[in-house]
Amino acid sequence: MKISKDRVRFNVGGRIFETTSTTLANAGRNSFFGALFSENWTLKQPNNDSFSNCEFFIDRNPDCFSVLLDLLRTGDLNIPPNIPERHLYREASFYGLLDHVRSAKWGQFDGNRLRHSRSVTGRAPGDGTAIRAGPDGGCCVAHGSVVHVYDWIMEEHPPLNLDYQRVNDVGWVDSENIIISACEKLGRGDGGMGLFSKGTGELRYKFQVCHDNQVKSFTAGALSTSSDYKIFSSCKGRSNEYGIGVWDQVTGKQIDFFYESPGWSLGDADKLQWLNGSNCLLVATLFPRKDNCYISMLDFRDKRMVWSWSDFGAPTTVDEKRVRDAIAMEESNAICVVNEYEDLGFMDLRMTGGSVRWSSRSRMMKGKLSEEPCYPKLALHEGQLFSSMDDCVSVFCGPDWVLTSRLRRSYGGSICDFSIGGDRLFALHSEENVFDVWETPPPPVS
Amino acid sequence: MSNQKKRNFQIEAFKHRVVVDPKYADKTWKILEHAIHEIYNHNASGLSFEELYRNAYNMVLHKFGEKLYNGLVATMTSHLREISKSIEAAQGDSFLEELNRKWNDHNKALQMIRDILMYMDRTYIPSAHKTPVHELGLNLWRDNIIHSSKIQTRLQNTLLELVHRERTGEVIDRGLMRNIVKMLMDLGPSVYQEDFEKPFLEVSAEFYRGESQKFIECCDCGDYLKKAEKRLNEEIERVTHYLDSKSEVKITNVVEKEMIANHMLRLVHMENSGLVNMLLDDKYEDLGRMYNLFRRVPNGLSTIREVMTSHLRETGKQLVTDPERLKDPVEFVQRLLDEKDKYDSIISNAFNNDKTFQNALNSSFEYFINLNARSPEFISLFVDDKLRKGLKGVSEEDVEIILDKVMMLFRYLQEKDVFEKYYKQHLAKRLLSGKTVSDDAERSLIVKLKTECGYQFTSKLEGMFTDMKTSQDTMQGFYASQPELGDGPTLVVQVLTTGSWPTQPGVTCNLPAEMSALCEKFRSYYLGTHTGRRLSWQTNMGTADIKATFGKGQKHELNVSTYQMCVLMLFNNADRLSYKEIEQATEIPTADLKRCLQSMACVKGKNVLRKEPMSKDIGEEDAFFVNDKFTSKFYKVKIGTVVAQKESEPEKLETRQRVEEDRKPQIEAAIVRIMKSRRVLDHNNIITEVTKQLQSRFLANPTEIKKRIESLIERDFLERDSVDRKLYRYLA
Repeated sequence: MKISKDRVRFNVGGRIFETTSTTLANAGRNSFFGALFSENWTLKQPNNDSFSNCEFFIDRNPDCFSVLLDLLRTGDLNIPPNIPERHLYREASFYGLLDHVRSAKWGQFDGNRLRHSRSVTGRAPGDGTAIRAGPDGGCCVAHGSVVHVYDWIMEEHPPLNLDYQRVNDVGWVDSENIIISACEKLGRGDGGMGLFSKGTGELRYKFQVCHDNQVKSFTAGALSTSSDYKIFSSCKGRSNEYGIGVWDQVTGKQIDFFYESPGWSLGDADKLQWLNGSNCLLVATLFPRKDNCYISMLDFRDKRMVWSWSDFGAPTTVDEKRVRDAIAMEESNAICVVNEYEDLGFMDLRMTGGSVRWSSRSRMMKGKLSEEPCYPKLALHEGQLFSSMDDCVSVFCGPDWVLTSRLRRSYGGSICDFSIGGDRLFALHSEENVFDVWETPPPPVS
Repeated sequence: MSNQKKRNFQIEAFKHRVVVDPKYADKTWKILEHAIHEIYNHNASGLSFEELYRNAYNMVLHKFGEKLYNGLVATMTSHLREISKSIEAAQGDSFLEELNRKWNDHNKALQMIRDILMYMDRTYIPSAHKTPVHELGLNLWRDNIIHSSKIQTRLQNTLLELVHRERTGEVIDRGLMRNIVKMLMDLGPSVYQEDFEKPFLEVSAEFYRGESQKFIECCDCGDYLKKAEKRLNEEIERVTHYLDSKSEVKITNVVEKEMIANHMLRLVHMENSGLVNMLLDDKYEDLGRMYNLFRRVPNGLSTIREVMTSHLRETGKQLVTDPERLKDPVEFVQRLLDEKDKYDSIISNAFNNDKTFQNALNSSFEYFINLNARSPEFISLFVDDKLRKGLKGVSEEDVEIILDKVMMLFRYLQEKDVFEKYYKQHLAKRLLSGKTVSDDAERSLIVKLKTECGYQFTSKLEGMFTDMKTSQDTMQGFYASQPELGDGPTLVVQVLTTGSWPTQPGVTCNLPAEMSALCEKFRSYYLGTHTGRRLSWQTNMGTADIKATFGKGQKHELNVSTYQMCVLMLFNNADRLSYKEIEQATEIPTADLKRCLQSMACVKGKNVLRKEPMSKDIGEEDAFFVNDKFTSKFYKVKIGTVVAQKESEPEKLETRQRVEEDRKPQIEAAIVRIMKSRRVLDHNNIITEVTKQLQSRFLANPTEIKKRIESLIERDFLERDSVDRKLYRYLA
């Protein structure tokens, strides 16, 4: 009796489905089914005493319902070819099951199990500058002065722009909000930095730099955010306003400014990285006007540069190794750098003024670079190190950073930027206006 | 053409797909609004969830999200206004019940509304930056019910009134209270704090201010504390029953401040029941309560500590300076120990073994023990008493306990060297007279002193033990080498190393011929086995057992001192001897002779001699006879010398002088040690450092240190700086 009481019959758009309330419980309270079976509502269904015989009518598409019911039964998502994905997502959204679909679609990120999922072609002219993965599987791509926003379904949202000024960097503050840093427009106060709502594309805050109690226009460069709701950006103003600005995400107000000291470059920084453990900001200036690289760690609490390194005055060796990207690895107290030949180098964060320990691994790469190569980029994700070179991304693992995988798509030219987030890797190609999405497949059946 | 037309028609149809019916949105909203009404009216059984959900979904899908949201706000607000009226109308006690009932209804309705509007909650609200449905429902409840002018104050007063009634002993519906307070917390921490917690704390402060005033007028200290403790526990219990756990600290702070902190001094000093009375009567329970309550307020414990300290110092001072008490040193020390025991057990039973209290106790003892310069002597006498006889039949553990207690008193002493001096004297007497009860106890105390004060402190004491042991061996050797001595008197010699023992350069008296011959034999034996030594006889320290037969044939064995033996032996050849004759024959120093004659002629029961004229004191003209009528129940008679247990005034001065004398080289050594490492130092710093270095032995007197410095300057150890006269330099 108990088993039969558990049974539930649905009439969905005219087709009968039978399932159990146990299966439907997998949908969670915060869903159509969760509400339907909550004590407030079930009592009001007709034929309450013959529970198993009653039929719930749902005015929706039965084909999609069948797929979603299977998802609740098995946890696996199998979309038959006759159902357009968009259609299924629409239905999942109705039932409040979009999150279930999202997590069934691809598995937990693992650099060594990545599978190319799709390539997305954009319509924007001009080279892509940056691609940033969002926390829920979406991404945004900066093209010239416009930022294109995609959700995890790869539906495009209204594009963003900041006075149509050239975009230098973009970043996700959370799954709903995106920041854009852009060049200033002389004398107009345009450009700078803005926070946009992903869904509507509206500008929510425009961030300002104050110097001597005067609002100055500025060019915002690299961006970073911290878990305590701060936004960092490298800033170039007209005169003194070179350095790193800090703003509050919630209020949009400037709360700090780290002025650049003479002989050291901060305002031109190409990369910022907030380090939660050490409460410091990594600032790397790698393509400066004066041909030198500067990497430093800033502690904003006592306005101090706690670690610094520069190749200023270093002897130029035969095979000149210029640092092209840098990333701090807090667990191993090191900074990883990469040169244009994709050689990895390491520096110890515990002592300042050390030199780079290069591991010359990829000498064979030399000579077969494409005609218009892009400089390598680095990314770190849960103990796996990623570096892009030409048209592929290499994955390094283990304490000695052994090369374990290489991701390559032949189409689109060399990779100018890539980003990892929401359990996905996005790679933006420079020649064609296209980016690749890489995902980890769901875990094996048994 | 028709083809063209058809296409146009299709495009048009597509364009209008969203707004098929211009009244679509209004119609749909009406359905949903009706549903919301039905939900609030407990009439939801006729509603189809699927239909409502689908309608809400469609409104959002067709871009009527804002209309839906605004409609929700308006409908819910109007319902809440109705609810507000019905709550206002509730009379008396039913007010809270009605509020609680409506709150439960609202929560349930809110859940159902949110179920229907789930799609809006998920999609429209985040993108439009609106308040989510659940939070919206709480906010509207707060604004329309809790903060409505007719409910806000009434609610507050009702809650506070209920708390007050509970405080005055009535039973209230705690479940209802808990529900209402939980509602305030659900509405956000600020609502709970502003609408309840703040006024609650104010009213509580006022209540306890009044109550504590009442109590303090009519209760004694112990009762007051009991009441305060009870109130405190009640408030803590109240928090666990129906308030936010974060309120516990706040409300206990109020009670602590009003009931304890504000009356602290008055309580402590309360006449006939305050802290001092509790201490005197060992009221552990009250003291413990006071400690636990006062601990909660700033300066509470220091208040107790200060009163206890000053009381301790006062009573201690009386104890050590009362001339009555100084008569019996053993009693004196026993009282100190009892006092210490009393406070130790107060601290461990009532004061949680608080370190700061133990320190206060120690410093008080240190303060008053040193008020009496005789404390070192008395403590040594106490030990002497215990080691002579007090430890008989006492288990080893108990001996250790007594010795540990003595050591604790010893630690309080500033003049540890004075103690050492006396201890040496008393130990010597014990060892030489064979009076010590337990060798283990003696050694155990030495070990304790050694761990306390270091090797130097006890090296001489240990030397004394070694001498005793060596002497035994020597005597065995002596008699083994002289087998012909078997019949004569037996000589037992204890060879004492000079310096280890508190020997006085006493004059050797004339021994009887038999003895002096024996002594000579020993001397030649000893010097024969040890070269390069000198022996001198300390006749003032020895004892003798002699057999005596009196006039009527009574035979006794007399245990006497060496001096007494010398005197008695004279009567073997004479019946009557004058004082002068005795003095001449024995050459015993006058004071000692008088004392030894006194003990043989004037003490009842021990008067083996008879004196003419009969009197208590010995005169130069007195004559002595053997007392033929001497009787005693015992065969063995011990004739003690009249010894002052306690030192007499002149002796005390003498000891004092010797101590002072002994300190001089120690002070000098300290000065030289310090100057050797520092090379240059000014006067004040030398004084400080010397005092510090010597403090484990005695408290050096600054004037004495100054004298020693001057003496060292004279002897070219130091010199004054030629520029700054306050600076001293070390001369290597």
